[in-house]
Amino acid sequence: MDYYLSQIINGICQGSIYALMAIGYSVVVGVVGLVTFTHGEVIMLGAFAAYYTFELLGNNLVIGVLASFLASAFVGIFIFKVCYERFFNAPRHISLICTIGTSMLLRNLAQIIFGPNNKPMLEVVPNRFYGQGVVGFTLVQLIVIATVISLSFLLFIFFNRTRWGIMLRAVSQDKTAAAMMGINVRLTALLGNSIGCGLGGVAGMLLAIYYQTLVATMGGSAGMKAFSSSVLGGLTNIPSAAVGGLCLGLVENLGITISSASFRDMFAFVFLLLVLIVKPEGFGRKTGVRP
Amino acid sequence: MSQNIHQPPKSSAKEPSGLRAGLVRITALLERPAWRITFTIIGITFLAVVPLLNLQSYYMGVLCRILMYTILAGSLNVINGYSGQFNIGHAGFYAIGAYASALLSLKLGVSFWLALPLAGLLAMLVGLVVALPTLRLRGIYLAIVTLGASEIIRLIILNWMSLTGGPNGLRGIPAPVLFGIKFSRSQQYYYIFLVLSLIFFFISKRVINSRIGRAWISIREDETAARSLGVEAMRYKALNFMYGAFWAGIAGGAFSPYFKFISSDMFTLDEGFNILSMVIIGGQGTLAGPIVGAIIVNFLTEFLRPISQYRMVVYALLIIAMMWLRPQGLVGASRSVLAERNIGLRRRRKPTAPAATAVKGDS
Repeated sequence: MDYYLSQIINGICQGSIYALMAIGYSVVVGVVGLVTFTHGEVIMLGAFAAYYTFELLGNNLVIGVLASFLASAFVGIFIFKVCYERFFNAPRHISLICTIGTSMLLRNLAQIIFGPNNKPMLEVVPNRFYGQGVVGFTLVQLIVIATVISLSFLLFIFFNRTRWGIMLRAVSQDKTAAAMMGINVRLTALLGNSIGCGLGGVAGMLLAIYYQTLVATMGGSAGMKAFSSSVLGGLTNIPSAAVGGLCLGLVENLGITISSASFRDMFAFVFLLLVLIVKPEGFGRKTGVRP
Repeated sequence: MSQNIHQPPKSSAKEPSGLRAGLVRITALLERPAWRITFTIIGITFLAVVPLLNLQSYYMGVLCRILMYTILAGSLNVINGYSGQFNIGHAGFYAIGAYASALLSLKLGVSFWLALPLAGLLAMLVGLVVALPTLRLRGIYLAIVTLGASEIIRLIILNWMSLTGGPNGLRGIPAPVLFGIKFSRSQQYYYIFLVLSLIFFFISKRVINSRIGRAWISIREDETAARSLGVEAMRYKALNFMYGAFWAGIAGGAFSPYFKFISSDMFTLDEGFNILSMVIIGGQGTLAGPIVGAIIVNFLTEFLRPISQYRMVVYALLIIAMMWLRPQGLVGASRSVLAERNIGLRRRRKPTAPAATAVKGDS
């Protein structure tokens, strides 16, 4: 029983990282209106940005979060320029293929620059444990959950209380109407893409701290998990995407208890298929055009 | 082989000039049946004679690989280029074909000539299972599901130690024997790949010119319109996916006795992207596109062998450049939804020939 309880706690913690990835993914897809394959690579680059920041500037989590957010946001600008800007009115598959190309480019460049092998993450957070027996939280888990909750809260404030947030929501609902209201759609989409990518980067940092390791090819499965989680919200609904991430984390960890850990990535896929079979349009309210 | 069957006749177009005029004249020549048959026979004879030239086995290996990749890229092109679905995990079906034929001949002693179609059929079944949950949805879902499926297939192969040997792979796959001839050297194996790819292109040409192929193309151009004209889109999309997966399985089934050794890291996502880049660079929606793509990408692979870590970077840059400059690919279907003329810096062209002929055709 204790074992299952601790697995559920692990699941919630991993699920909250997946939720952050999925939130980023939903922001990107919602605001840009085109689907992306680069999110996994953005997550990976965020992790590496945090790694090198920790190495250079010491173990400061706040600086790490800022660095990974900014690095991934700049990568987001690059992705926007390469993959989306010219293709808003083109058939969708063109920008889709472009994101696949960019993802290949980023992943292989990262493999060349950072090396193909696993790197151990620096021990940023001391290894402490709060709880009784097996059941309880480690300090890393608490920090991960706290970071995710506070970032989601900031995003909520940003989306609902600021002018830019309202513009972002307007663009994600209807680009033409937003343009008629005098919103610079291109700039807003660029901002939204950068924010979504930045959140993905922070998720990458958390992933690296949580597993104590990072590798240039981690983007593949991370992107897949971000997508699987956000399918629950129909790819654009942010709260449902976060719930999807939590569910995915739980499904994964409970799945591992009944099989072996080498099948971890398989459960994301099973989860995705289940959602697609039961409710392919997602659980979110229908706002705007679905990609 | 290269003409697009959905193109309207080139009657009303203006007389073009220069290089383009030459190309138009050559394609017009190729469209005459007598010339086409002659050219095809000359081409096939040339391809059949190549192994007799006593090339080094390195070059024969490259040629074999090109022929195998024409089947793989061609089958992916049937999915991506003709029906507008989006499969990026083609390596999964390839892996299933390879392992099926290897295991059938190693564990059950089935002859290669029976194992090959069985490998194709197994890949086809898996293709159906993968495609079913996504048929109602648009492109991206199928793309992610195929990506995931390809990785899952690899994971299962890697972890099923008792059957597939896990990371050690399968060794000593027997070479096929026909009429007492053992196909063990690449000079001999070349003919298997050649015959398979000829069969593939012959059948695909027939299928694409048939009612089924036209249904696929209509789905690609506009699914709603196709449905409204009575095309059962779901059925045809499933059929299309199964057809592509079948040929990927055949290519895999022919590959494993050729290489004599397979392991799960030969079928990674990068392998799928490799095949995808052939289709995108060569051209989607024409039969010639994947051939051109397979030739270009395989030669690039050989050229870049000294700096092989930059190989995928070069492909990625080529894919992005292709999307920016010529989204349908080098010899892709120019007058289709795959080609987008109104991108970015390019001047918006007046809707001339295609639109005019289309209107004329409707009235």
